[in-house]
Amino acid sequence: MTVSGVLTRIEACIPALRRYAAALLRNREDADDLVHDCLVRALDKLHTRRDEADIRAWLFAIMHNLFISQLRRARARPAGEPLDETHEASMSIRPDQESSLLWRDLLRGLNQLPVEQRAVILLVSVEDLSYAEAASVLGIPVGTVMSRLARGRERLRQMIDEEAVRPALRRVK
Amino acid sequence: MSDPNGPIAEEELHAFVDNQLGPERLPAVQRYLQDHPDVARRVGAYRGQRDALRAALGGVAAEPIPPQLNLEALIRQRLAQRRTPWRAAAAVLLAFGLGGAGGWLLHGGVPAPTGIMTLLAQQAVANHVVYTADRRRPTELGADQRDDLARWVSNRLNHKVAPPDLSADGYRYMGGRLAATPDGPAGLFMYDDPQGMRLTVFVLPMNAASSRPIQHVDFAHVDGCAWIDQGVGYTVVGKLPPTELKRIAELVRAQFNGST
Repeated sequence: MTVSGVLTRIEACIPALRRYAAALLRNREDADDLVHDCLVRALDKLHTRRDEADIRAWLFAIMHNLFISQLRRARARPAGEPLDETHEASMSIRPDQESSLLWRDLLRGLNQLPVEQRAVILLVSVEDLSYAEAASVLGIPVGTVMSRLARGRERLRQMIDEEAVRPALRRVK
Repeated sequence: MSDPNGPIAEEELHAFVDNQLGPERLPAVQRYLQDHPDVARRVGAYRGQRDALRAALGGVAAEPIPPQLNLEALIRQRLAQRRTPWRAAAAVLLAFGLGGAGGWLLHGGVPAPTGIMTLLAQQAVANHVVYTADRRRPTELGADQRDDLARWVSNRLNHKVAPPDLSADGYRYMGGRLAATPDGPAGLFMYDDPQGMRLTVFVLPMNAASSRPIQHVDFAHVDGCAWIDQGVGYTVVGKLPPTELKRIAELVRAQFNGST
């Protein structure tokens, strides 16, 4: 591996790390602080890298571990308790956008999910990690990734149905 | 990996949503969704979630990266703290500018050197940055072992070479070492001036028998002059004004030509 190769890969991952952090945390400032800590930690651990292959998953794993220890330190609220509403305002939603209502409901719903389900949904749906990569990032078996993904998506679907944002999404039974 | 006609598992529906389903199972899942409209609706909702999340969060990733997350700045901070295990590599990297090869320019509107000159100058700068940064042991053999070093380097390079004498110009010979490059061994001779500024002279036999005139090379944080005489590449690197570097390069060149 070359150091410059690894650093170039790390740099390319920063936008995705910011996106993941922004979706996990209450506000953008905290999110960027988390990304900052993640990059600093990655630079500290750079000499342990043997290859450039899975830099992205490696970075997400570092960030996820930092996030979890932050949650613990802050005596995190119990899983599933809603995050506060200031989050939405700082999210990158533009009200003029047609889909913003759905987006807002979706992000609000996402924030009501237990953090472990939220993380899986974000890593898989938004960050395009494979199930195996998501499993390694979160330090859980692939089967657990799948069950959290299924539970999270289904709960999100029901929440949005209940909001009845769009007739097309209304549950038909 | 799975039976194309086996029953559809819940996780396969998610793999379908995430485009992670193996092609051998795709037809079976698609058939299943056609036959089960309620499941198809649910899967459609998952797809909708996925697309909407990507759209809703896409803006964050498209933003410019804020200054506090600038990787190069973070590396500088690390270096300043003097506890980075890869200090040397990072210093080289910063000398070249992050991202590597494209980070150097020639002064004076001369076309950028390519190929052989690039290789030569990059190796010289890399070794310069690594070894001049070493406060405790910048050289392998010190000034008192000048003849030993000359023999050693000449043997390894298969080319007779001795450390140039720049003392008349205010540069004290500190010593030198054998350096490593992708093209094989090189000789590195180090000097300093009364202010402690370190200068290196780098000698690398190249595979080409060509000659090139002295060119000024300008990296992000250090300058140099490189030339090739009859297949042997030479570089003088230091934080000096271009005119002074050029002057030293000419002195060094004259001495090397006189000694071979």
